[in-house]
Amino acid sequence: MTAVRAVRAASRTGRTLLALWLVLPLVPLLLWAFADRWTFPAVLPQEWGTRGAEEALAAGAGGAFLTSTLLGAVVALLATPLGAMAGRALASRQVPAGTAVLAVLLSPLALPPFAVALGLDVLLLRLGVPAVGGVVVLLVVAALPYTTLTMRAAYAAHDRGFEDEARVLGATRWQTVRSVQLPLVAPALAGAAFLAFLVGWSDYIVTVLVGGGRLTTLPLLVASAASATGSDAQVAILSLTSILPPVALLLVVGSLGRRRR
Amino acid sequence: MSGGALRLAGLTRVHGTGSAPALDGFDLEVPAGSCVAILGPSGSGKSTVLRLTAGLDEPTAGSVHLDGVDLAGVLPERRGMAMVFQRPLLFPHLSVRDNVAFADRVRGVPRRTARRRAEEFLELVQLGGYGGRPARALSGGQEQRVALARALAAEPRVLLLDEPFSALDARLREEMHELLADLRMRLDPTILLVTHDHAEADTLADRVAVLDGGRLLQAGPMRALYARPASLTVSRLLGGRTEVAGVVRDGRHESPLGSLDLPAPVPDGPAVLVVRHEAVQVTTAADPAADAVGSAVRVRPRGLRALVTVEVTGDGGTTTVDAELGPGHDVAAGGTVGLRLPAGDRWVVPVDDAADDPVADGARA
Repeated sequence: MTAVRAVRAASRTGRTLLALWLVLPLVPLLLWAFADRWTFPAVLPQEWGTRGAEEALAAGAGGAFLTSTLLGAVVALLATPLGAMAGRALASRQVPAGTAVLAVLLSPLALPPFAVALGLDVLLLRLGVPAVGGVVVLLVVAALPYTTLTMRAAYAAHDRGFEDEARVLGATRWQTVRSVQLPLVAPALAGAAFLAFLVGWSDYIVTVLVGGGRLTTLPLLVASAASATGSDAQVAILSLTSILPPVALLLVVGSLGRRRR
Repeated sequence: MSGGALRLAGLTRVHGTGSAPALDGFDLEVPAGSCVAILGPSGSGKSTVLRLTAGLDEPTAGSVHLDGVDLAGVLPERRGMAMVFQRPLLFPHLSVRDNVAFADRVRGVPRRTARRRAEEFLELVQLGGYGGRPARALSGGQEQRVALARALAAEPRVLLLDEPFSALDARLREEMHELLADLRMRLDPTILLVTHDHAEADTLADRVAVLDGGRLLQAGPMRALYARPASLTVSRLLGGRTEVAGVVRDGRHESPLGSLDLPAPVPDGPAVLVVRHEAVQVTTAADPAADAVGSAVRVRPRGLRALVTVEVTGDGGTTTVDAELGPGHDVAAGGTVGLRLPAGDRWVVPVDDAADDPVADGARA
């Protein structure tokens, strides 16, 4: 009895510590976001206010938020179906030298992004690819490892018998994809899309190097605000703005996955 | 719903170049409204027959004809068939009702009509009122009933059943057998059934095709196959237990059991005598009508009956004969008994069962 209780207590403590580890960095951010004045010896801000938010808005946080959202959405929209197709092909073992193909698809994870972006920037300029298009293409490639791996696992666990059954019952190839295959892998698709969205949402290096100032995303705004001698409140507001949408999305995706279990 | 006539001609499927064919020149007639079973051990190619028939795989050679029309190149969804697999494969994201309505929905039937018809088919498999449940909230037997209802709701010309009851326990399997017999009476579908269980084939099918190693070994009504198997392999797949090696001379089989008359003329030479254990009668050692006398070496109870293995020593060695005892009839292990092998139930098959072409070899009778 006591052993069980001890294990439970330990588990609870562990989970609490983990939650703290994740939430603790957010506490100073929250404090800074609404601190109009917070000088060194004080434990808490001396003056509360919304100056940080006003400054962030003035610096273009609204537009950057939209740009980031759009960039993440476009990357997710392109990388998810590509990853799903690659994942299905790899899971079916019909790809010759499948392991080698997988290694190539995963290579963006291993290569230093700075070097890749810098090298490809030259190539894209020579090819005459517009800056925004270049950013999207590179980010889609960077997102592919995540979407491919996620979907490969989903399709490996997927029973093709469902599709055979649907076909024999009269469903066309496309009807089978739409009404059987996609609903069955929907939780994995949502997860893959979420990861791809994050790649676009949080990217800094590719946007700076390849985008050439044409795209002002939230990470760029955060970085410039943080490196300048501006107000810490503004940086905190911008940082919070970049954290909250992914967290909200994660909750949505998580609940979607749970509903299917 | 009434079924169509299916004819399979020379169906061959080779999975990879150089590998042995999974199915080799398979011919089968399934008359409209009949139930034909394909009986074979796992890996015999019997599921391949169904996949080729349904159009899920392309035959390497041969053709599938439905009501006289060659289905070569016809997509699975246009063949007018439906299939029930060993796994129920109910779509987990749909309710029971929408699973059964699936075939109608993909054919463009309005949702309301499709759902009403789905309820009718659920009634038919005795699951009326289950329509609103999620597909994953059913027991194994219920799942397979829904799978059957879903296939029937597609109003197939041919219903393909791929070991549909193998994963169920004995009682549920029997219930499903009764349900299928009932559905056959009401709907008159054409059914092509695959099974590894000869008793199931016997219960459900009008005719049986025995398949092994991708080749058709024998086809015919189950009773004929039980009584006159074409080879030792067929006899074993049908649950035959007694195999007595010997030689045929002048129409008599000579073995440790003695010289036994055969019901039909057989060419001379080595041959194996097979007798169904159900046909062998166990009497006393003193019975003057006994064909052989031996000692019971093993007795295994099977409900009210028992299966007894009798060891007989005679000219040229020792052999064993299996016999099923009548209800209540008992034999002590080690006791001496007489055996009657009714002349009409004796049958001989060729010795060399590994012959390259068992179909052509046939029975020597």
